[in-house]
Amino acid sequence: MAKLPTGRKLPGKLLVVEGIDGSGKSTQLDLLRKWLVGEGYCVAFSEWNSSPIVGSTTRRGKKKKLLSPTTFSLIHAADLADRVERQMLPALKAGAIVLADRYIYTAFARDIARGVNPDWVRGNYAFAPRPTVALYFRVPLEESIRRIMSGRPRLKYYEAGLDLGLSGDPLRSFELFQERIVSEYEKMIDEFGLTVIDATLPLTEQQEMVREIVAPHLQGVLKAERSAWREVLGKEQLYGRYLPEIGLEQRQK
Amino acid sequence: MTKVAFYGHGLPNVHKGDLPGKLIVLEGTDGVGRSTQVALLREWLESSGYAVASSGLKRSGLAGKGISLAQEGHYLGDLTSCLFYASDLADRLEREIIPALRAGFVVLTDRYIYSLLARALVRGVNRKWVRSVYGFALVPDKVFYLRAGLDHLIPRVLNARGFNYWEAGMDFLPQRDYYDSYVEYQSRILDQFDAMSSEYGFHLVDANRSVHTVFTELKRGIDKLVRGMKPASPEILGDE
Repeated sequence: MAKLPTGRKLPGKLLVVEGIDGSGKSTQLDLLRKWLVGEGYCVAFSEWNSSPIVGSTTRRGKKKKLLSPTTFSLIHAADLADRVERQMLPALKAGAIVLADRYIYTAFARDIARGVNPDWVRGNYAFAPRPTVALYFRVPLEESIRRIMSGRPRLKYYEAGLDLGLSGDPLRSFELFQERIVSEYEKMIDEFGLTVIDATLPLTEQQEMVREIVAPHLQGVLKAERSAWREVLGKEQLYGRYLPEIGLEQRQK
Repeated sequence: MTKVAFYGHGLPNVHKGDLPGKLIVLEGTDGVGRSTQVALLREWLESSGYAVASSGLKRSGLAGKGISLAQEGHYLGDLTSCLFYASDLADRLEREIIPALRAGFVVLTDRYIYSLLARALVRGVNRKWVRSVYGFALVPDKVFYLRAGLDHLIPRVLNARGFNYWEAGMDFLPQRDYYDSYVEYQSRILDQFDAMSSEYGFHLVDANRSVHTVFTELKRGIDKLVRGMKPASPEILGDE
């Protein structure tokens, strides 16, 4: 069960993945999503920092380097609030599964690493429903950095923590910043009951573990009839030539 | 001097110790004449030799545009709105208001956290939560609360820009008519302001009176606050 901050149980399940950049959490969540959808469950997905209402402000702040630790924290809280209010909470009330790629723990780790008051940040996020399961993908720093640098050559300003002035060299700054974030994550494991996954294991092995952890929570979850049009096509002897046009936009994303 | 004191956890990286400027807030409901008074006061203070800066909701370089855009759409949730406005205020405090206070400016702000608290509370947002969120707000030197009754507010709003969706509470009240909704919403907002008045030490200004009368009263109140902030005049220097 996901729970409201008041303790009231919600019929849906909130499954969260956390971990530093390059821990492979998004890959694992994507695999989990495909499996859950394949099993017929009703699944909503929400990514950190993706609110259509707040996004332009966050982008502006990052591009123009306007963000301080305080405003960085607040704007990300606004982003989650919008997604909770409009997307996650309705889905959880309906009894669906909500998958979140990063959640409040990302904010706690990053903002506290930036020197924001821990009690204040935690208080700001008090509106967030409590997850059913929060998986923390633990990876050694060197490994995550190797993964990131092989795929993405240029580190962004805030991503590298350059706003903290830890080092003028983006890579060095990134390392120092990630180190702080890792130590914040480690502290939160017990406090919030995060489930640790060893992110150095082979992908499939990790996914098996993830499914094993998630499976007991799937009872009674809302199912969605997939491809309900198949039946119509068969009965009416139609080809469904125009059906691919439906949802074309989503697939193009 | 503005003492560096916050309502809650405060802002990191703001050094303790006094700021030589003064932070003066004008609060009150929509249409009560705050912006007119801020404009008049700014001119008066500047012509009296003070350095003045002004600020107001949604004027941050960071979040002003974003909030306005979100308000044009069909949905801006209560919590999102609180945090979005918090981003706006924190940005202005850190990048405009506190630097101006440090440089010895008189900073006049059109609304502050009190309007934001009132708006959130009438919408049923948790009081403890919203207060904690705005805990980074610097405690102002003075808050002038301009209060006018609805019968005075309505013609002013109609003469200015008409009823606004959000300022009429159309986002949450059951009334489907702008006028009815506005009346209900603003009465609830007034109740919230009145309830905050003694806790936050508002200086109540009766804004049912003419703009000039209100201006005179504000001038009197502000004069006391800013006296002694002006650069020493040549005669005084000559005495030494």
